[in-house]
Order: sequence, then structure tokens, then C-alpha cells
Amino acid sequence: MVGPVPLDRHPEALEGLRTALAARYRGASPEAFTLAEESVVRSGLEALDAALGGGFPRGIIATLEGPPGSGRSAVAARLLATATAGGGLGALVEVPAGPEGSFFPRALAAAGVDLDRLLVVRADRAGQIARAADILMRAAAFGVVVIPATALRAPVWTRLASLTHRANALLIAVGLEASDELRYFASLRVRLQSSNATFAGESGPFCALAGIGVDAAVLKHKRAAPGRHAQFACTTFERDGAPLGTLRERTRADAAALRPERRAAIR
Amino acid sequence: MPIVCALVPVYEVEVARLGDVRLRERPLIVVDRLERGHAIAVDAHAYESGARAGMTLVQAAACAREAAVALDDPVRNRALWERALDALDAVSPLVEDAGDGIAFLEMRGVAGGDVQWFASVREALESDPELARLPVRTALGPNKFVARAAALVRDGTVVRSGEERAFVAPLGLGYLGLDEPEIERLELFGVTTLRALAALPHGPFVRRFGPQSARWHALAGGTDGAPIVPRVRRVAIERSLFGEGTAEREDQLLFALRTLVTAVSGDVAVRGKRCGALRLELECEDGDRVVLALVFAQPTAQAATLFDLVRARLEGVELKSPVTGLRLIAERLEPGGAELSLFAGRDPDPEIVGIALARLQAALGPQAALRARVASGNRFEAQATYEPFTAGGLARATQAALAPPAALDARAATLAYRMLAPRAIDVRCERGRPAWVGTHAVLEAAGPWRVDETWWAHALASGGHPIQTDAYDVLLDDGALVRITSDGGTWYLCGTYD
Repeated sequence: MVGPVPLDRHPEALEGLRTALAARYRGASPEAFTLAEESVVRSGLEALDAALGGGFPRGIIATLEGPPGSGRSAVAARLLATATAGGGLGALVEVPAGPEGSFFPRALAAAGVDLDRLLVVRADRAGQIARAADILMRAAAFGVVVIPATALRAPVWTRLASLTHRANALLIAVGLEASDELRYFASLRVRLQSSNATFAGESGPFCALAGIGVDAAVLKHKRAAPGRHAQFACTTFERDGAPLGTLRERTRADAAALRPERRAAIR
Repeated sequence: MPIVCALVPVYEVEVARLGDVRLRERPLIVVDRLERGHAIAVDAHAYESGARAGMTLVQAAACAREAAVALDDPVRNRALWERALDALDAVSPLVEDAGDGIAFLEMRGVAGGDVQWFASVREALESDPELARLPVRTALGPNKFVARAAALVRDGTVVRSGEERAFVAPLGLGYLGLDEPEIERLELFGVTTLRALAALPHGPFVRRFGPQSARWHALAGGTDGAPIVPRVRRVAIERSLFGEGTAEREDQLLFALRTLVTAVSGDVAVRGKRCGALRLELECEDGDRVVLALVFAQPTAQAATLFDLVRARLEGVELKSPVTGLRLIAERLEPGGAELSLFAGRDPDPEIVGIALARLQAALGPQAALRARVASGNRFEAQATYEPFTAGGLARATQAALAPPAALDARAATLAYRMLAPRAIDVRCERGRPAWVGTHAVLEAAGPWRVDETWWAHALASGGHPIQTDAYDVLLDDGALVRITSDGGTWYLCGTYD
């Protein structure tokens, strides 16, 4: 009879588990579980691709979740850049009047997106987003389609998941948080969080945003191991206009250190 | 350059007589329609009675009272002449289709002489029983005009090179194909034959009668520089499936049909065409033959679309016995499809993209599918423009297709910026700088970047709302990076870095 392992025997239990797995899956290595090159869309970010087992798998719905400023749109732009750079097409469904707004074309171009090969679809409401995604996936001509992570009914996500699989495309839902239905139907969920923001220059007009640091966590992955983390940076698209000077980093600790009395005074 | 002309005088009349033997014994008028119609062609007897092509049916019938009237059938005329041209392809490698009832064959390099050539033409046409009944005239000339004139004069006429001027000299002006007013105008000058026309001085004649008269003058001298224009060969795309058992159930029939449709659509696409109509022939075990015709509103070469349409057409069709064979014929082939690049790799099909765009516009409105452009401007909002997305030009040139994509930084992405519809927000400042945005404290603020477009708005007196804003990029205590602007004391949230 097998009972719970005592706490003081944890290292031995772990070693025993390793030995048993090595005997059963002889020769297996972490690289053996990476996805094939042709079955993924690489973001081009080494750390993120490694955490995902090679990249974003084709034929699935994936989510990029996080608050504004977390770098989720930057990752989406990277994927669109990969899709359009190889001669394919990318599509972007956006709601200009919504809380997420619309992508700035100059930033997309700076991220490497070929604007000639990027279809921008304007929608007003959730139903139109679903309709647009449906049409784009049925065409099977767009390698990467980015949509807002809106709340849609389960049958809609079912249909989109099926179409995405048939089209061998990648449907990316970008938003603050995935709805319950989307959490279920997404094969890959990545949560992003900014770790710091870097400003260049001293202050005032001689200061400019230089970039942010991003922590990415793989919340769910149906084709590789979930639970991995990655860290990477996002730099500003204003390459010509960034002033020279020392870089100053502001982290979350700075926000926490903001004295309560100052908050009260400002209030 | 020896050219043989194969000519059927009053072709429409002869085709009408092929369909009804009773018409052979009577003068005949062919009309475009029976009610308020006009004469298309009249035979020699009706012509002698005074009937002419172009008259109304009433006028022509009044002139030739004993003449029968037949309805013209342009489709049948064309189909029959296409068969004749197909047969003539065996005689010469260069055959020009000069319209229903007339063809030119270039005989340069073809063995034999005029007698053998005429015999070859007749032999080729007699291979088809229906064509064999057509009274085809053949004649030889050094150019197309002389060959045609020779065929009109008499069957079997041979005009050698150097004899053309003398041959055409006594002919009337009608051989030039001129309109009645032009002939009357020339006759006023005493010009009634091609000899008289050729004798006129070229320069003054052309100045008086216009540029087109230069060609009349050349033809009147027996000179015709127009080359043979080879006819476009008819492309026949057809696939059949016989002798592989019988299809007793619908799913078996559809399985076989999908194979056929895939093969036919592939043949259509390979030729750079699109198919506007299909004809499906089903051979049944009891000898019954079912023919289904499909005409598409939009020509296509997509197998999935074609199969869906064929399947929809099959619904409701009752077959009394199992199907033993299928034949699928692509018709109404039109130019279309994308020119394929040899090294294009993943270039999308513009037709598929075009269909997706049409669906998007139908579902979301005409301005739904756009292509973003970067414009020059002082404000972010002015730097973004959009234009309708079009599927044309998506296929890349070979060089572009071979070029590797630009390398992306493996360690850092580029920060994106999301433009928001400007909305007023509450901003509190300390020492002239934003310190509080709504309920969030400002950790860092870069700016201001002033945009002042008022001076030229006033200078140009263009009216409108002059813009004078101060923009800040601020980091809030919740980690959000936003761009806020101050415009006349009112603060707006314009976008977020993400």
C-alpha cells in the first residue's frame, strides 16, 4: 500500500521519480518535447519561444492576457510581423471606439509588420468580431489573426476553434482577461505583466519612454508543458526621437513605495 | 504568301437550310426575330426580287413575296463554324477565323499546290456530315483581300502573286465592304470599279476621303498587308469516370463527383482560367442519360465552391437506376486567376482574399476591410491613415519572394501603441506637471511635447478647430503607460503603450 511520502524524504522521492521516468522514457530530453518548426509561428523572442516549446502552435486559439501596458500588443505585433514577413497575410480585428482602441500603424511598421499584407478589420461589437474572425478563418488565407478577447458564447468559440484548426492558422485573442468560455477553448494562454518601465533622459521634455520589461507566464498549453516563464524587453518605436541620457528604471516597488500620505494629499 | 479562303456565301441562309430541307426549294429571308424583325441575310433569288439585308421583315417580304422566312440562330451558326474551323486546323497550321462563314488559311510551307489544297479543305470539311452539306467555296490569292474576292467571284479561282492588281481591277466597289453612302459618294466622282479607284492619285484622294481611304486605295490596287491572325484555340476541359462500378447511393455519387470536380478545377486553374458554367452528364445503368447544366454568377476555379454548387444542383434530381458513369465539362472559360510566381511559396490566392473581403464588407459595411498607412504628421492621430484593402498585388515578385525576411531582435519586442478615441479625464498637476490621472498616481511623466498648429490655421484662414496641445507619456502606479494631452485646459486620454 502506498501512503503519503514523509516530508523529510522528499529529495529521495524526487530522485526515485526521476529514475523511474528515465527508465520509462529513455533518451527523452526537454528538446524532445519542443514543437516542430513548421507547426508553430515563432514570435522571434528567444525566451518566449523557448517557454512555449518553440513558438505559438498553428491551428489553435491562443490568448495574450494582461493589463494595458503589459506588452501583450507588442507580442501580437511580433506575431503579425512573422506572418507578413514570410509572404503570408495577417489580419487584425479591432474596435476603435472600444476600451482597447486601435493599433498605431507606425508602431506596427516599426515592429516589422508589412502593412501592405496586413488586413485591418473594423468592428463595433462582439458579434461583429466573431463574424469577422469566422470569415477570415474560413478564407484560410491569413496565417495570424488578432482579435480582442471579447466575451462570446461557447458555440461561437467552438466554431472558431474548428475553423482555426482547419485553416492551420493562429487566432490570437488579446485582452485583460479571458472569459470562462475562452479559457476553455484556448489551447494556449499566456499572461503578461510589465516588471518595470525605463525612461531615458532626466526629466520633462528631455525625457522619453525607452521601454518596458515583461514577465510572461504560460498559464495553459495543450501541446507543450505549461507553467513556464519568460522575461523579455519591449523597446519604444520612437527610435529617432529618443533622447540620449541616463536610463532610469521605475518598478512596481516604486508604486508601492508611494507614501500613503502623498496619495491622501493628492486626493 | 499563298492564302486559301474558305467561304460560305450568305452563311446564315445556308445554315437555316441545313435545318429544314423544305427551305432549299424556295427563296429565303433570314430574320433576327419574327415580330418587327429585320432581315439578316437573303439568298440570291430573294436578292433578285429586291430584298436586302437590313430591311424590315415587312419590307423584305413585300419585295420577295414567294420567299420563306427563317429565324436566325447565332449560337448554332457559331457552333457549326467552330466545328468547321476545328476541321480546317488539319489543313494548315495558321487558320484565321474572319467571322461566321469565312476563314483564311496560310499555305506557306504546306506541301502541294492549289489543287491539292482545295481538295484538302473539302476533305477536311466532308469529315463532318453536316459540314459536308455546306456549299463552301475555296479560292487562292496572294493576300486575304484578293483571296476573299476570288472566292466571291467563283469557286476554285486561283490568283497568283503579281496578278492581283489585274484580277481586282474590274471588280465593283462592293468588294471593299464599303457602306452605301460611301459608294454613292465615290460614284458621284465617276468611280465605279476598283481600277478607277486605284488610278486616283493617292494623296489628294486620302485628303478628301479621310485616313480610312488609304486602305481602300491600297486594296483597290490588290495590296493587303494585313497578316493572318491565328484563331484562339478552343480549350476543352472535360473529365469522365466510367467503368469503376456503379454508384447506388448518394454518398457514392458525391464521392465520385468530388474527384471529378477536383480534377476539372485543377485543369481550369492550370490554364489560368475560371469556369463560368459546368455541364454534368450522368450515365445510368438502364441507359438513361441525365444532363445537368450549371451557370455560375461568378466564374471561379475553386474546387470547394464548384463542388458545393454541383451538389446543390443535384438535390432533388431523381435517378431511377444506379449511375455507371459521370462526365464533367467546364464551359464558359474566362481569363482569370493569379499569375503564379515560381518562387512565391506562401503567396495567398487573390481570388480567395477577394471573396473574404467581399464577405467582410457585406457583413460589417463598406469601410470594414482596410489597409493601414503611415502618414506624416505632428500628432500620432495624424500619422495613421487607412485605405480600402484590395486583393490585387498581393503576389510578390520573384526577387521579393526569394529575399529572406528581415531579422527581428531576439531579445526585445517593439512596444505597441493603441490609439483610443479621445475622452476627457481628470488630471491633477503638481508644479505644472501631471501627478494624478483619475485615481492613479503618476510615477513618471515624460513631456510635454507641444503641437501648435494654430499659427498656420490663422495664417491660412482655413477655419476649423486649431490644435494646440501638450502631450505627456506617463507611467501610472498600476503599470499602465498612457499618453495624455492637454488642450485648452482640458485633459484627454489619447492612447496606451502596450
